[in-house]
Amino acid sequence: MDMGQAPQGWVPVEHRLLGLDRRTFAAGFGALAVALLLIYGLQALNAAIPWHNEIRAGQVLDLGGGATAVPPVGWQLERGTLTGGAGAAATSLQVLLASGGATIELEGTSYDGSAAAFLEQVQRSEGDSGSVSGSRGSLTTDAGLVGVVESSTGPSGDAIDVAFKMAVGTTETVNSAPALLVRVRTAAGQFERYQDEVAAMLRSITPGAAR
Amino acid sequence: MTAVPQEKAAQREAIEQSGWGQPYRFLQPHNVAFWVYLLGVGGGALTMLRYFGAGASFYTPALAGGVLLFGLYLVPWLLLLRHHNRFTAQPAGLLATGFVWGGVAATFWIALPANGALLAIWAKVGGTSFAANWGAGLTAPINEEWGKALGLVLLIGLAPRLVRSAYDGFIIGAFIGLGFQVFEDVLYVYNGATQLYGVDQLGSSLRVFVTRGAAGIVSHALFSAIFCAGLMWVLGRSGERKVLRGVLTMLMAMVFHFAWDDMAGIAGGSWLIGVLPFAIAAVELIALFYVLRHAARQERAWMRELLGPEVESGVVDPALLDAVSGLRKDRKKYRKHLHSRSKARHRIEAAGDLAQEIARAGGAESAGVAHARAELVRVQQGGLS
Repeated sequence: MDMGQAPQGWVPVEHRLLGLDRRTFAAGFGALAVALLLIYGLQALNAAIPWHNEIRAGQVLDLGGGATAVPPVGWQLERGTLTGGAGAAATSLQVLLASGGATIELEGTSYDGSAAAFLEQVQRSEGDSGSVSGSRGSLTTDAGLVGVVESSTGPSGDAIDVAFKMAVGTTETVNSAPALLVRVRTAAGQFERYQDEVAAMLRSITPGAAR
Repeated sequence: MTAVPQEKAAQREAIEQSGWGQPYRFLQPHNVAFWVYLLGVGGGALTMLRYFGAGASFYTPALAGGVLLFGLYLVPWLLLLRHHNRFTAQPAGLLATGFVWGGVAATFWIALPANGALLAIWAKVGGTSFAANWGAGLTAPINEEWGKALGLVLLIGLAPRLVRSAYDGFIIGAFIGLGFQVFEDVLYVYNGATQLYGVDQLGSSLRVFVTRGAAGIVSHALFSAIFCAGLMWVLGRSGERKVLRGVLTMLMAMVFHFAWDDMAGIAGGSWLIGVLPFAIAAVELIALFYVLRHAARQERAWMRELLGPEVESGVVDPALLDAVSGLRKDRKKYRKHLHSRSKARHRIEAAGDLAQEIARAGGAESAGVAHARAELVRVQQGGLS
């Protein structure tokens, strides 16, 4: 008897289940299970583990190149390192502090120009965020660093952005120094609660001794 | 019943075992692996659009520069891998399926969310200093190597007869890794530009291209080629199951990935940081060729069996069989034997063509086999036109 040639993709009846080829289940579902474990299993595990990285009195943040800041006690350090560790890089700095719904982010980068021009560049790169910007002011830290502050409020909450050039001295020295952007985000109307802690931390920012 | 000569029986068995000459078809609605593949690539594409979409217009120069530079970077890689896709000569469609999994699904569907979660876990468990020093190396080898290797598992589901040996795993793994590497590099270009808030975007993409491009020689394509060869040894799909060798090979790829990502932590701030990249690269390349050599052993044996009847009939001489189924040193020996590089190359390629046609015809005579045989005879007689 001529068996003929099976059409392409023909699945023998004993291997069919709901129109699928059961012989492909091991590879397909096996790969899917491992993928879901990596994607959602790790996220679930992360969500289940609480932070235990609370800032204690006397601890100091490493902002790279000798620059430092004193973070508010009791906040959780989620990204970034303290002084005495492996050492941070001023031009690729990423620090994240969180307390309740509020966060303070410190981002270091290289930028040639003033702090005001740096803040404008940041805002240009982010386009229209839909928030209402407040007035722009200046802020001087205890070490004499002059920063540019801008606050804004929007549907997603309150925000202040502060831009620094991490050096004091002549315009040339300041313009060529690394830039630091401090971003504080809170839920709408909640900024007042954190105002004193944020102000104290901003005032504590100190440039590196080398600069 | 006609008696089948011993060589012919061995040839048929090699064709059956190796899956050589089998066509590859991507569209398989009855196949679960096909739907999981679509889910992964679709999910990855959506994440990719969301990731780049927000700043796409402002960061267009960086993105365009990254895509162009790393697109060009692909060319020498594809030529190199084409050269190594020698024995089995996996179909281009299958390799492209692997490449897209590596670039879109493994990178954006799996690695991006999984890496974020595991990095946060390391920071929570060991503190932020520990995470800064060791987090990357403890994260990427797990999420990325497995994420990429899932592409190989899905290809086994899509083309079970084509993906059989450790050599298949090596070649497909290299393509999956190359896809991952190129898409990840474009991601790094974008991240680099956002880190500078869009200042000097082309310069920033060029800097990322130089550093990532140089490091890429001993990066994802290499890790995945080694890891996937190991996975094939563990699975033992060609009848040659070597679990211990497979597991050690997979671990080796993960250790290389760890060493590369945590070089600063390993150096501990010492002078070693200047030497480590070169030392690790040298060890990786030696390991790569060692794995390649072992992985190719079975393919070489299949090639000998495939051309066995042609040796019996005198179309392929034993020296040519050694060269076409051998290692680099065998091909070199053949070149010396013929006193001509081009003659040797033509004969080896023509014998390879004949093997492919024989496999495609399932060991039977076909017009393609007759033509490839005639071509081999022609180049052996010096009748190059």
